[in-house]
Amino acid sequence: MTRASASPRDISLLVAGLVAGLAALVLAMPAAQAAPSRLVADLSDSHVDITSSYHGTDLILFGAYEGVAGDDLILIVEGPASDIAQRRKEKKAGIWVNVETLIWQQAPSFYHMFATDDLAVIADEAALRAADVGPLASGLMLMTGEAGGGNGHGGGGLTAAGATQAGSTAQESGLSRNMVNNGLWQLQPEQISTQQDMLFRAKLSLPSNVPTGDYLVRVLHFRGGVAISEKTTDMNIKKAGLSALIYRFAHDYSVFYGLFAIAFAVASGWLAAVAFRRG
Amino acid sequence: MYIYLPIAEVSMHIGIIIGLGGGVGFLSGLFGVGGGFLMTPLLIFFGIPPAVAVSTEANQIVASSVSGVLAHMRRGNVDFKMGGILMAGGVIGSSLGVALFSFLREIGQIDLVIQLSYVVFLGIIGALMLTESVRTILRSRKPGAVRGKLHQHNWLHGLPLKMRFRRSKLYISAIMPLLLGAFVGILAAIMGVGGGFIMVPAMIYLLGMPTSVVVGTSLFQIIFVTANVTLLQSIQTQTVDFVLAGLLLFGAVIGAQFGSRAGALLRGEQLRGLLALMVLAVCIKIGYDLVVRPEDLLSVELLR
Repeated sequence: MTRASASPRDISLLVAGLVAGLAALVLAMPAAQAAPSRLVADLSDSHVDITSSYHGTDLILFGAYEGVAGDDLILIVEGPASDIAQRRKEKKAGIWVNVETLIWQQAPSFYHMFATDDLAVIADEAALRAADVGPLASGLMLMTGEAGGGNGHGGGGLTAAGATQAGSTAQESGLSRNMVNNGLWQLQPEQISTQQDMLFRAKLSLPSNVPTGDYLVRVLHFRGGVAISEKTTDMNIKKAGLSALIYRFAHDYSVFYGLFAIAFAVASGWLAAVAFRRG
Repeated sequence: MYIYLPIAEVSMHIGIIIGLGGGVGFLSGLFGVGGGFLMTPLLIFFGIPPAVAVSTEANQIVASSVSGVLAHMRRGNVDFKMGGILMAGGVIGSSLGVALFSFLREIGQIDLVIQLSYVVFLGIIGALMLTESVRTILRSRKPGAVRGKLHQHNWLHGLPLKMRFRRSKLYISAIMPLLLGAFVGILAAIMGVGGGFIMVPAMIYLLGMPTSVVVGTSLFQIIFVTANVTLLQSIQTQTVDFVLAGLLLFGAVIGAQFGSRAGALLRGEQLRGLLALMVLAVCIKIGYDLVVRPEDLLSVELLR
Protein backbone atom coordinates (compact mmCIF):
# COMPACT_ATOMS: atom_id res chain seq x y z
CA MET A 1 0.00 0.00 0.00
CA THR A 2 3.02 2.24 0.12
CA ARG A 3 2.72 2.87 -3.58
CA ALA A 4 -0.76 4.33 -3.26
CA SER A 5 0.54 7.11 -1.08
CA ALA A 6 3.88 7.61 -2.75
CA SER A 7 5.77 10.64 -1.52
CA PRO A 8 8.75 12.07 -3.46
CA ARG A 9 10.98 10.24 -0.97
CA ASP A 10 9.29 6.92 -1.71
CA ILE A 11 9.69 7.52 -5.43
CA SER A 12 13.36 8.27 -5.10
CA LEU A 13 13.74 5.10 -3.05
CA LEU A 14 11.89 3.21 -5.74
CA VAL A 15 14.12 4.68 -8.41
CA ALA A 16 17.21 3.85 -6.38
CA GLY A 17 15.89 0.32 -5.93
CA LEU A 18 15.31 -0.08 -9.63
CA VAL A 19 18.79 1.18 -10.40
CA ALA A 20 20.28 -1.20 -7.86
CA GLY A 21 18.23 -4.04 -9.35
CA LEU A 22 19.44 -3.26 -12.82
CA ALA A 23 22.97 -3.05 -11.60
CA ALA A 24 22.67 -6.43 -9.92
CA LEU A 25 21.34 -7.82 -13.18
CA VAL A 26 24.31 -6.48 -15.09
CA LEU A 27 26.74 -7.74 -12.49
CA ALA A 28 25.23 -11.22 -12.58
CA MET A 29 25.85 -11.50 -16.31
CA PRO A 30 29.08 -13.07 -17.46
CA ALA A 31 31.40 -10.41 -18.76
CA ALA A 32 31.68 -10.69 -22.52
CA GLN A 33 34.42 -8.32 -23.62
CA ALA A 34 34.13 -8.81 -27.38
CA ALA A 35 30.35 -8.41 -27.72
CA PRO A 36 28.77 -4.95 -27.70
CA SER A 37 28.43 -3.82 -24.13
CA ARG A 38 25.10 -4.30 -22.48
CA LEU A 39 23.15 -1.16 -21.79
CA VAL A 40 19.90 -0.66 -19.90
CA ALA A 41 18.06 2.64 -19.67
CA ASP A 42 14.80 3.85 -18.20
CA LEU A 43 12.92 6.95 -17.12
CA SER A 44 11.33 7.85 -13.82
CA ASP A 45 8.16 8.47 -15.84
CA SER A 46 7.59 7.56 -19.46
CA HIS A 47 4.28 9.43 -19.70
CA VAL A 48 4.15 13.13 -18.93
CA ASP A 49 0.72 14.74 -18.66
CA ILE A 50 0.36 18.44 -19.34
CA THR A 51 -2.50 19.48 -17.09
CA SER A 52 -3.79 22.95 -16.20
CA SER A 53 -1.21 23.31 -13.43
CA TYR A 54 1.75 22.24 -15.60
CA HIS A 55 4.75 24.57 -15.39
CA GLY A 56 7.65 22.38 -16.46
CA THR A 57 8.69 19.20 -14.71
CA ASP A 58 11.81 17.14 -13.92
CA LEU A 59 12.40 13.55 -14.97
CA ILE A 60 15.18 11.20 -13.93
CA LEU A 61 16.89 9.25 -16.71
CA PHE A 62 18.81 6.30 -15.32
CA GLY A 63 20.26 2.95 -16.23
CA ALA A 64 23.23 0.65 -16.13
CA TYR A 65 26.07 -0.08 -18.52
CA GLU A 66 29.09 -2.37 -18.73
CA GLY A 67 31.85 0.18 -18.62
CA VAL A 68 35.55 0.34 -17.97
CA ALA A 69 37.46 3.33 -16.68
CA GLY A 70 37.57 6.06 -19.34
CA ASP A 71 34.29 5.11 -21.00
CA ASP A 72 31.78 7.85 -21.81
CA LEU A 73 28.05 8.13 -22.21
CA ILE A 74 25.94 10.49 -24.29
CA LEU A 75 22.24 10.74 -23.61
CA ILE A 76 19.85 12.39 -26.06
CA VAL A 77 16.19 13.24 -25.54
CA GLU A 78 14.58 13.93 -28.88
CA GLY A 79 11.08 15.34 -29.41
CA PRO A 80 8.67 14.72 -32.29
CA ALA A 81 9.78 15.99 -35.71
CA SER A 82 8.22 19.25 -36.82
CA ASP A 83 8.68 21.67 -39.70
CA ILE A 84 10.41 24.77 -38.40
CA ALA A 85 10.08 28.14 -40.17
CA GLN A 86 13.20 30.26 -39.96
CA ARG A 87 12.77 33.95 -40.73
CA ARG A 88 15.44 36.51 -41.44
CA LYS A 89 15.01 40.23 -40.84
CA GLU A 90 16.48 43.02 -42.89
CA LYS A 91 16.17 46.78 -42.66
CA LYS A 92 13.74 48.08 -45.28
CA ALA A 93 12.71 51.74 -45.39
CA GLY A 94 13.99 52.26 -41.88
CA ILE A 95 12.22 49.33 -40.19
CA TRP A 96 13.20 45.72 -39.59
CA VAL A 97 11.13 43.41 -41.76
CA ASN A 98 11.09 39.63 -42.31
CA VAL A 99 12.51 39.28 -45.81
CA GLU A 100 13.15 35.56 -46.10
CA THR A 101 11.56 32.39 -44.77
CA LEU A 102 13.23 29.00 -44.83
CA ILE A 103 11.51 25.81 -43.76
CA TRP A 104 13.53 23.17 -41.95
CA GLN A 105 11.69 19.98 -42.71
CA GLN A 106 11.06 17.44 -39.97
CA ALA A 107 13.53 18.91 -37.53
CA PRO A 108 13.44 17.78 -33.89
CA SER A 109 11.06 20.05 -31.97
CA PHE A 110 12.98 19.21 -28.79
CA TYR A 111 16.59 18.11 -28.40
CA HIS A 112 18.38 17.93 -25.06
CA MET A 113 21.83 16.35 -24.67
CA PHE A 114 23.61 14.95 -21.65
CA ALA A 115 27.15 13.62 -21.49
CA THR A 116 29.82 12.46 -19.08
CA ASP A 117 32.37 14.85 -20.65
CA ASP A 118 32.72 17.50 -23.33
CA LEU A 119 31.55 16.10 -26.66
CA ALA A 120 34.87 17.00 -28.29
CA VAL A 121 36.69 14.92 -25.66
CA ILE A 122 34.38 11.92 -26.05
CA ALA A 123 34.78 11.53 -29.82
CA ASP A 124 35.78 13.44 -32.92
CA GLU A 125 33.24 15.17 -35.13
CA ALA A 126 33.06 12.37 -37.70
CA ALA A 127 32.39 9.73 -35.05
CA LEU A 128 29.72 11.90 -33.42
CA ARG A 129 28.07 12.47 -36.78
CA ALA A 130 28.24 8.76 -37.57
CA ALA A 131 26.53 8.04 -34.25
CA ASP A 132 23.87 10.66 -35.14
CA VAL A 133 24.74 12.96 -32.26
CA GLY A 134 23.40 16.51 -32.65
CA PRO A 135 20.07 17.69 -34.05
CA LEU A 136 21.58 18.49 -37.44
CA ALA A 137 23.74 15.36 -37.72
CA SER A 138 21.37 13.45 -39.97
CA GLY A 139 21.27 16.29 -42.52
CA LEU A 140 17.97 18.10 -42.33
CA MET A 141 16.11 19.10 -45.47
CA LEU A 142 15.95 22.84 -45.95
CA MET A 143 13.22 24.27 -48.11
CA THR A 144 13.61 27.80 -49.38
CA GLY A 145 10.60 30.05 -49.37
CA GLU A 146 9.97 33.26 -51.25
CA ALA A 147 11.00 36.61 -49.87
CA GLY A 148 9.14 37.14 -46.65
CA GLY A 149 6.82 34.26 -47.41
CA GLY A 150 6.79 30.54 -47.82
CA ASN A 151 4.22 28.40 -46.07
CA GLY A 152 5.54 25.40 -47.91
CA HIS A 153 2.99 25.37 -50.71
CA GLY A 154 4.86 25.69 -53.97
CA GLY A 155 7.27 28.38 -55.01
CA GLY A 156 10.12 26.83 -53.04
CA GLY A 157 12.90 24.63 -54.27
CA LEU A 158 14.24 21.73 -52.26
CA THR A 159 17.85 21.64 -51.23
CA ALA A 160 19.52 19.34 -48.80
CA ALA A 161 21.17 21.19 -45.98
CA GLY A 162 24.49 19.83 -45.02
CA ALA A 163 27.87 21.11 -43.96
CA THR A 164 28.88 20.96 -47.59
CA GLN A 165 26.28 23.43 -48.81
CA ALA A 166 27.65 26.94 -49.08
CA GLY A 167 25.88 29.48 -46.92
CA SER A 168 24.01 26.89 -44.90
CA THR A 169 26.26 27.26 -41.87
CA ALA A 170 24.85 30.64 -40.85
CA GLN A 171 21.35 29.24 -41.13
CA GLU A 172 22.26 26.11 -39.16
CA SER A 173 23.89 28.05 -36.37
CA GLY A 174 20.94 30.48 -36.39
CA LEU A 175 18.52 27.59 -36.02
CA SER A 176 20.55 26.13 -33.15
CA ARG A 177 20.86 29.52 -31.44
CA ASN A 178 17.13 30.30 -31.71
CA MET A 179 16.08 26.84 -30.54
CA VAL A 180 18.50 26.97 -27.59
CA ASN A 181 17.24 30.43 -26.64
CA ASN A 182 13.63 29.31 -26.54
CA GLY A 183 14.63 26.37 -24.35
CA LEU A 184 13.70 23.62 -26.77
CA TRP A 185 17.24 22.58 -27.66
CA GLN A 186 20.08 21.98 -25.22
CA LEU A 187 23.33 21.53 -27.13
CA GLN A 188 25.87 22.18 -24.36
CA PRO A 189 25.49 18.73 -22.78
CA GLU A 190 24.34 18.61 -19.18
CA GLN A 191 26.15 16.37 -16.72
CA ILE A 192 25.50 12.64 -16.41
CA SER A 193 26.57 11.27 -13.05
CA THR A 194 28.01 7.77 -13.09
CA GLN A 195 28.97 5.30 -10.40
CA GLN A 196 31.82 2.82 -10.79
CA ASP A 197 31.39 2.68 -14.59
CA MET A 198 28.18 0.81 -13.96
CA LEU A 199 25.29 3.12 -13.12
CA PHE A 200 24.31 6.40 -14.67
CA ARG A 201 21.77 9.00 -13.85
CA ALA A 202 20.75 12.40 -15.28
CA LYS A 203 18.04 14.92 -14.60
CA LEU A 204 15.92 16.11 -17.51
CA SER A 205 14.12 19.40 -16.91
CA LEU A 206 11.20 19.81 -19.27
CA PRO A 207 10.37 23.48 -19.96
CA SER A 208 6.83 24.85 -19.76
CA ASN A 209 6.66 25.24 -23.56
CA VAL A 210 7.57 21.59 -24.21
CA PRO A 211 6.07 20.23 -27.46
CA THR A 212 3.64 17.34 -27.09
CA GLY A 213 4.05 14.01 -28.84
CA ASP A 214 6.23 10.90 -28.91
CA TYR A 215 9.78 11.29 -27.64
CA LEU A 216 12.82 9.09 -28.07
CA VAL A 217 15.48 8.77 -25.40
CA ARG A 218 18.81 7.47 -26.75
CA VAL A 219 21.76 6.35 -24.65
CA LEU A 220 25.11 5.94 -26.44
CA HIS A 221 28.09 4.18 -24.89
CA PHE A 222 31.46 5.43 -26.18
CA ARG A 223 34.80 3.69 -25.73
CA GLY A 224 37.99 5.06 -27.24
CA GLY A 225 36.09 7.59 -29.33
CA VAL A 226 33.73 5.01 -30.88
CA ALA A 227 30.10 4.28 -30.08
CA ILE A 228 30.06 0.64 -29.04
CA SER A 229 26.48 0.36 -27.93
CA GLU A 230 23.17 2.21 -28.13
CA LYS A 231 19.86 1.79 -26.35
CA THR A 232 16.61 3.65 -26.98
CA THR A 233 13.49 4.03 -24.91
CA ASP A 234 10.20 5.83 -25.56
CA MET A 235 8.54 8.66 -23.78
CA ASN A 236 5.21 10.35 -24.42
CA ILE A 237 4.13 13.88 -23.54
CA LYS A 238 0.50 14.81 -23.95
CA LYS A 239 -2.08 17.31 -22.82
CA ALA A 240 -4.36 15.82 -20.17
CA GLY A 241 -7.33 16.72 -18.04
CA LEU A 242 -9.09 20.03 -18.55
CA SER A 243 -6.43 21.53 -20.83
CA ALA A 244 -6.70 18.53 -23.19
CA LEU A 245 -10.48 18.79 -23.13
CA ILE A 246 -10.45 22.51 -24.03
CA TYR A 247 -7.83 21.97 -26.73
CA ARG A 248 -9.85 19.15 -28.34
CA PHE A 249 -13.07 21.19 -28.06
CA ALA A 250 -11.39 24.14 -29.82
CA HIS A 251 -9.98 21.99 -32.62
CA ASP A 252 -12.67 19.35 -33.18
CA TYR A 253 -15.79 21.48 -32.67
CA SER A 254 -14.43 24.91 -33.53
CA VAL A 255 -17.84 26.44 -34.44
CA PHE A 256 -19.35 25.40 -31.11
CA TYR A 257 -16.21 26.49 -29.30
CA GLY A 258 -16.49 29.97 -30.86
CA LEU A 259 -20.19 30.22 -29.98
CA PHE A 260 -19.44 28.99 -26.48
CA ALA A 261 -16.67 31.59 -26.04
CA ILE A 262 -19.09 34.34 -27.13
CA ALA A 263 -21.88 33.09 -24.85
CA PHE A 264 -19.42 32.87 -21.98
CA ALA A 265 -18.26 36.45 -22.59
CA VAL A 266 -21.80 37.84 -22.90
CA ALA A 267 -22.91 36.04 -19.74
CA SER A 268 -19.93 37.15 -17.67
CA GLY A 269 -20.17 40.73 -18.97
CA TRP A 270 -23.83 40.87 -18.04
CA LEU A 271 -23.13 39.28 -14.66
CA ALA A 272 -20.39 41.83 -13.93
CA ALA A 273 -22.70 44.74 -14.79
CA VAL A 274 -25.47 43.38 -12.55
CA ALA A 275 -23.13 42.57 -9.66
CA PHE A 276 -21.59 46.03 -9.58
CA ARG A 277 -24.86 47.90 -10.05
CA ARG A 278 -26.17 46.38 -6.82
CA GLY A 279 -22.89 46.70 -4.97
CA MET B 1 0.39 29.51 -8.98
CA TYR B 2 0.95 28.84 -12.65
CA ILE B 3 -1.75 27.92 -15.09
CA TYR B 4 -1.16 26.19 -18.41
CA LEU B 5 -3.17 28.01 -21.08
CA PRO B 6 -4.50 25.27 -23.35
CA ILE B 7 -4.68 27.27 -26.61
CA ALA B 8 -1.73 29.64 -26.14
CA GLU B 9 0.28 26.54 -25.07
CA VAL B 10 2.32 28.44 -22.53
CA SER B 11 2.08 28.52 -18.76
CA MET B 12 1.71 31.84 -17.04
CA HIS B 13 1.41 32.93 -13.43
CA ILE B 14 -2.24 33.40 -12.59
CA GLY B 15 -1.37 36.56 -10.63
CA ILE B 16 0.20 38.14 -13.73
CA ILE B 17 -2.89 37.43 -15.84
CA ILE B 18 -5.35 38.81 -13.28
CA GLY B 19 -2.98 41.71 -12.55
CA LEU B 20 -2.83 42.58 -16.27
CA GLY B 21 -6.61 42.42 -16.44
CA GLY B 22 -6.93 44.59 -13.33
CA GLY B 23 -4.38 47.18 -14.46
CA VAL B 24 -5.82 47.58 -17.94
CA GLY B 25 -9.34 47.41 -16.47
CA PHE B 26 -8.49 50.28 -14.11
CA LEU B 27 -7.25 52.43 -17.00
CA SER B 28 -10.24 51.55 -19.17
CA GLY B 29 -12.60 52.47 -16.33
CA LEU B 30 -10.65 55.70 -15.75
CA PHE B 31 -10.69 56.82 -19.37
CA GLY B 32 -13.83 55.10 -20.56
CA VAL B 33 -12.04 53.13 -23.28
CA GLY B 34 -11.99 49.40 -24.00
CA GLY B 35 -8.29 48.94 -23.33
CA GLY B 36 -7.67 46.48 -26.16
CA PHE B 37 -4.92 48.70 -27.54
CA LEU B 38 -3.04 48.23 -24.24
CA MET B 39 -3.92 44.61 -23.52
CA THR B 40 -2.97 43.05 -26.86
CA PRO B 41 0.60 44.48 -26.93
CA LEU B 42 1.02 43.54 -23.24
CA LEU B 43 -0.08 39.95 -23.88
CA ILE B 44 2.41 39.68 -26.75
CA PHE B 45 5.09 41.19 -24.50
CA PHE B 46 4.38 38.49 -21.88
CA GLY B 47 4.95 35.70 -24.41
CA ILE B 48 1.45 34.97 -25.68
CA PRO B 49 1.66 34.25 -29.44
CA PRO B 50 0.38 37.33 -31.37
CA ALA B 51 -2.42 35.39 -33.07
CA VAL B 52 -3.68 34.10 -29.71
CA ALA B 53 -3.38 37.56 -28.13
CA VAL B 54 -5.47 39.21 -30.85
CA SER B 55 -8.23 36.56 -30.94
CA THR B 56 -8.42 36.19 -27.16
CA GLU B 57 -8.59 39.94 -26.66
CA ALA B 58 -11.54 40.08 -29.09
CA ASN B 59 -13.29 37.52 -26.89
CA GLN B 60 -12.60 39.56 -23.75
CA ILE B 61 -13.84 42.80 -25.36
CA VAL B 62 -17.19 41.09 -26.07
CA ALA B 63 -17.63 40.75 -22.31
CA SER B 64 -16.44 44.23 -21.32
CA SER B 65 -18.60 45.85 -24.03
CA VAL B 66 -21.71 43.95 -22.91
CA SER B 67 -21.00 45.06 -19.38
CA GLY B 68 -20.48 48.68 -20.48
CA VAL B 69 -23.40 48.97 -22.90
CA LEU B 70 -26.01 47.99 -20.30
CA ALA B 71 -25.52 51.22 -18.33
CA HIS B 72 -25.78 53.30 -21.54
CA MET B 73 -28.94 51.44 -22.59
CA ARG B 74 -30.62 52.23 -19.27
CA ARG B 75 -29.94 55.92 -19.87
CA GLY B 76 -31.15 55.66 -23.44
CA ASN B 77 -27.74 56.60 -24.83
CA VAL B 78 -27.65 54.03 -27.64
CA ASP B 79 -28.72 54.86 -31.18
CA PHE B 80 -29.73 51.36 -32.29
CA LYS B 81 -30.42 52.36 -35.90
CA MET B 82 -26.98 53.95 -36.29
CA GLY B 83 -25.45 51.10 -34.29
CA GLY B 84 -27.10 48.57 -36.59
CA ILE B 85 -25.63 50.15 -39.72
CA LEU B 86 -22.17 50.51 -38.14
CA MET B 87 -22.49 46.88 -37.06
CA ALA B 88 -23.40 45.68 -40.57
CA GLY B 89 -20.28 47.42 -41.88
CA GLY B 90 -18.28 46.13 -38.93
CA VAL B 91 -19.24 42.49 -39.49
CA ILE B 92 -18.22 42.74 -43.16
CA GLY B 93 -15.00 44.56 -42.27
CA SER B 94 -13.99 42.21 -39.47
CA SER B 95 -14.64 39.18 -41.70
CA LEU B 96 -12.26 40.69 -44.25
CA GLY B 97 -9.86 41.49 -41.40
CA VAL B 98 -9.80 37.90 -40.16
CA ALA B 99 -9.14 36.62 -43.69
CA LEU B 100 -6.35 39.17 -44.09
CA PHE B 101 -4.97 38.15 -40.70
CA SER B 102 -4.78 34.46 -41.74
CA PHE B 103 -3.08 35.38 -44.99
CA LEU B 104 -0.50 37.62 -43.31
CA ARG B 105 0.17 34.99 -40.70
CA GLU B 106 0.80 32.42 -43.42
CA ILE B 107 3.37 34.59 -45.16
CA GLY B 108 5.06 35.51 -41.88
CA GLN B 109 4.22 39.22 -41.88
CA ILE B 110 1.45 39.40 -39.27
CA ASP B 111 3.70 40.77 -36.51
CA LEU B 112 4.86 43.57 -38.77
CA VAL B 113 1.34 44.55 -39.85
CA ILE B 114 0.07 44.49 -36.24
CA GLN B 115 2.98 46.71 -35.17
CA LEU B 116 2.58 49.12 -38.09
CA SER B 117 -1.19 49.42 -37.51
CA TYR B 118 -0.53 50.27 -33.87
CA VAL B 119 2.09 52.88 -34.69
CA VAL B 120 0.01 54.58 -37.40
CA PHE B 121 -3.39 54.62 -35.71
CA LEU B 122 -2.30 55.19 -32.14
CA GLY B 123 0.03 57.92 -33.39
CA ILE B 124 -2.73 59.75 -35.28
CA ILE B 125 -5.39 59.39 -32.57
CA GLY B 126 -2.98 60.18 -29.75
CA ALA B 127 -1.69 63.33 -31.43
CA LEU B 128 -5.22 64.53 -32.25
CA MET B 129 -6.45 63.90 -28.71
CA LEU B 130 -3.45 65.60 -27.16
CA THR B 131 -3.77 68.79 -29.22
CA GLU B 132 -7.52 68.88 -28.62
CA SER B 133 -7.20 68.54 -24.85
CA VAL B 134 -4.33 71.02 -24.60
CA ARG B 135 -6.37 73.51 -26.64
CA THR B 136 -9.41 73.00 -24.39
CA ILE B 137 -7.34 73.43 -21.24
CA LEU B 138 -5.79 76.66 -22.60
CA ARG B 139 -9.14 77.98 -23.80
CA SER B 140 -10.81 77.36 -20.45
CA ARG B 141 -8.25 79.67 -18.86
CA LYS B 142 -9.05 82.42 -21.37
CA PRO B 143 -12.48 83.88 -20.66
CA GLY B 144 -14.81 84.98 -23.42
CA ALA B 145 -13.52 82.53 -26.05
CA VAL B 146 -15.81 81.88 -29.01
CA ARG B 147 -17.22 78.36 -29.45
CA GLY B 148 -16.97 76.80 -32.86
CA LYS B 149 -19.95 75.78 -34.97
CA LEU B 150 -21.54 72.56 -33.71
CA HIS B 151 -22.49 71.12 -37.05
CA GLN B 152 -21.11 71.77 -40.49
CA HIS B 153 -22.38 70.75 -43.89
CA ASN B 154 -19.85 69.20 -46.25
CA TRP B 155 -19.66 66.85 -49.27
CA LEU B 156 -20.68 63.87 -47.10
CA HIS B 157 -24.17 65.24 -46.99
CA GLY B 158 -24.47 64.95 -50.75
CA LEU B 159 -24.21 61.11 -50.77
CA PRO B 160 -27.31 59.07 -51.67
CA LEU B 161 -29.25 56.59 -49.44
CA LYS B 162 -30.10 59.23 -46.87
CA MET B 163 -31.60 58.01 -43.62
CA ARG B 164 -33.03 59.70 -40.58
CA PHE B 165 -31.34 58.82 -37.27
CA ARG B 166 -33.75 60.19 -34.70
CA ARG B 167 -31.69 59.42 -31.61
CA SER B 168 -28.62 61.12 -33.12
CA LYS B 169 -30.72 63.96 -34.57
CA LEU B 170 -29.14 63.34 -37.99
CA TYR B 171 -30.32 63.00 -41.58
CA ILE B 172 -27.33 61.57 -43.42
CA SER B 173 -26.40 58.95 -46.00
CA ALA B 174 -26.11 55.37 -44.70
CA ILE B 175 -23.02 54.84 -46.84
CA MET B 176 -20.77 56.80 -44.51
CA PRO B 177 -21.48 54.81 -41.28
CA LEU B 178 -21.37 51.59 -43.31
CA LEU B 179 -17.87 52.38 -44.62
CA LEU B 180 -16.74 53.62 -41.23
CA GLY B 181 -17.98 50.40 -39.60
CA ALA B 182 -16.19 48.29 -42.22
CA PHE B 183 -12.91 50.19 -41.85
CA VAL B 184 -12.88 49.96 -38.05
CA GLY B 185 -13.92 46.29 -38.33
CA ILE B 186 -10.82 45.47 -40.39
CA LEU B 187 -8.58 47.21 -37.85
CA ALA B 188 -10.35 45.54 -34.91
CA ALA B 189 -9.70 42.09 -36.40
CA ILE B 190 -6.02 42.78 -37.11
CA MET B 191 -5.11 44.79 -34.01
CA GLY B 192 -7.11 42.86 -31.41
CA VAL B 193 -9.02 45.94 -30.30
CA GLY B 194 -12.65 47.01 -30.19
CA GLY B 195 -11.80 50.09 -32.21
CA GLY B 196 -13.62 52.55 -29.96
CA PHE B 197 -10.62 54.85 -29.98
CA ILE B 198 -11.15 55.39 -33.72
CA MET B 199 -14.92 54.92 -33.80
CA VAL B 200 -15.75 57.50 -31.11
CA PRO B 201 -13.86 60.45 -32.65
CA ALA B 202 -15.06 59.45 -36.14
CA MET B 203 -18.69 59.44 -34.93
CA ILE B 204 -18.29 62.92 -33.47
CA TYR B 205 -16.23 64.63 -36.16
CA LEU B 206 -17.12 62.65 -39.29
CA LEU B 207 -20.77 61.76 -38.75
CA GLY B 208 -21.56 64.68 -36.45
CA MET B 209 -23.31 62.59 -33.80
CA PRO B 210 -24.06 64.17 -30.41
CA THR B 211 -21.45 63.17 -27.80
CA SER B 212 -24.11 61.79 -25.43
CA VAL B 213 -24.84 58.80 -27.68
CA VAL B 214 -21.42 58.01 -29.20
CA VAL B 215 -19.95 55.85 -26.41
CA GLY B 216 -23.08 53.73 -25.95
CA THR B 217 -23.56 53.28 -29.70
CA SER B 218 -19.88 52.47 -30.20
CA LEU B 219 -19.97 49.85 -27.43
CA PHE B 220 -23.15 48.37 -28.91
CA GLN B 221 -21.57 47.78 -32.32
CA ILE B 222 -18.23 46.63 -30.81
CA ILE B 223 -20.06 43.68 -29.18
CA PHE B 224 -21.03 42.33 -32.60
CA VAL B 225 -17.73 43.08 -34.31
CA THR B 226 -15.64 41.36 -31.61
CA ALA B 227 -18.13 38.46 -31.38
CA ASN B 228 -17.71 38.01 -35.13
CA VAL B 229 -13.90 38.04 -34.76
CA THR B 230 -14.13 35.52 -31.90
CA LEU B 231 -16.26 33.15 -33.96
CA LEU B 232 -14.25 33.43 -37.19
CA GLN B 233 -10.87 33.09 -35.43
CA SER B 234 -12.20 30.06 -33.55
CA ILE B 235 -13.18 28.42 -36.82
CA GLN B 236 -10.19 29.42 -38.95
CA THR B 237 -7.21 29.51 -36.64
CA GLN B 238 -8.33 28.01 -33.28
CA THR B 239 -6.52 30.83 -31.48
CA VAL B 240 -9.22 31.93 -29.01
CA ASP B 241 -8.12 30.99 -25.47
CA PHE B 242 -11.19 31.43 -23.33
CA VAL B 243 -9.34 30.41 -20.16
CA LEU B 244 -7.02 33.39 -20.70
CA ALA B 245 -9.96 35.62 -21.68
CA GLY B 246 -11.90 34.62 -18.57
CA LEU B 247 -9.01 35.34 -16.20
CA LEU B 248 -8.27 38.70 -17.84
CA LEU B 249 -11.94 39.58 -17.59
CA PHE B 250 -12.08 38.72 -13.91
CA GLY B 251 -9.27 41.21 -13.22
CA ALA B 252 -10.66 43.80 -15.64
CA VAL B 253 -14.15 43.86 -14.09
CA ILE B 254 -12.72 44.68 -10.66
CA GLY B 255 -10.13 47.12 -12.00
CA ALA B 256 -12.73 49.02 -14.04
CA GLN B 257 -14.81 49.73 -10.92
CA PHE B 258 -11.89 51.43 -9.20
CA GLY B 259 -10.92 53.18 -12.43
CA SER B 260 -14.33 54.75 -12.99
CA ARG B 261 -14.37 56.01 -9.39
CA ALA B 262 -10.91 57.54 -9.86
CA GLY B 263 -12.05 59.05 -13.16
CA ALA B 264 -14.76 61.06 -11.37
CA LEU B 265 -11.99 63.02 -9.61
CA LEU B 266 -10.54 64.41 -12.86
CA ARG B 267 -11.93 66.77 -15.49
CA GLY B 268 -12.78 65.61 -18.99
CA GLU B 269 -10.01 67.42 -20.84
CA GLN B 270 -7.44 66.37 -18.24
CA LEU B 271 -8.52 62.74 -18.68
CA ARG B 272 -8.31 63.03 -22.46
CA GLY B 273 -4.86 64.57 -22.20
CA LEU B 274 -3.62 61.73 -19.99
CA LEU B 275 -5.20 59.14 -22.28
CA ALA B 276 -3.50 60.80 -25.26
CA LEU B 277 -0.13 60.57 -23.52
CA MET B 278 -0.69 56.88 -22.77
CA VAL B 279 -1.74 56.15 -26.37
CA LEU B 280 1.36 57.96 -27.65
CA ALA B 281 3.59 56.06 -25.21
CA VAL B 282 2.35 52.71 -26.58
CA CYS B 283 2.80 54.03 -30.13
CA ILE B 284 6.39 55.15 -29.44
CA LYS B 285 7.34 51.89 -27.70
CA ILE B 286 6.08 49.77 -30.61
CA GLY B 287 7.60 52.14 -33.17
CA TYR B 288 10.94 52.01 -31.38
CA ASP B 289 10.92 48.19 -31.52
CA LEU B 290 10.44 48.43 -35.28
CA VAL B 291 13.39 50.71 -35.97
CA VAL B 292 15.95 49.43 -33.45
CA ARG B 293 18.13 46.56 -34.63
CA PRO B 294 16.74 43.29 -33.18
CA GLU B 295 19.06 41.23 -30.99
CA ASP B 296 18.83 38.34 -33.40
CA LEU B 297 17.98 38.84 -37.05
CA LEU B 298 16.86 35.23 -37.31
CA SER B 299 13.80 33.83 -35.59
CA VAL B 300 12.11 30.43 -35.60
CA GLU B 301 8.55 29.18 -35.37
CA LEU B 302 7.44 25.55 -35.01
CA LEU B 303 4.89 24.70 -37.70
CA ARG B 304 2.45 21.95 -36.86
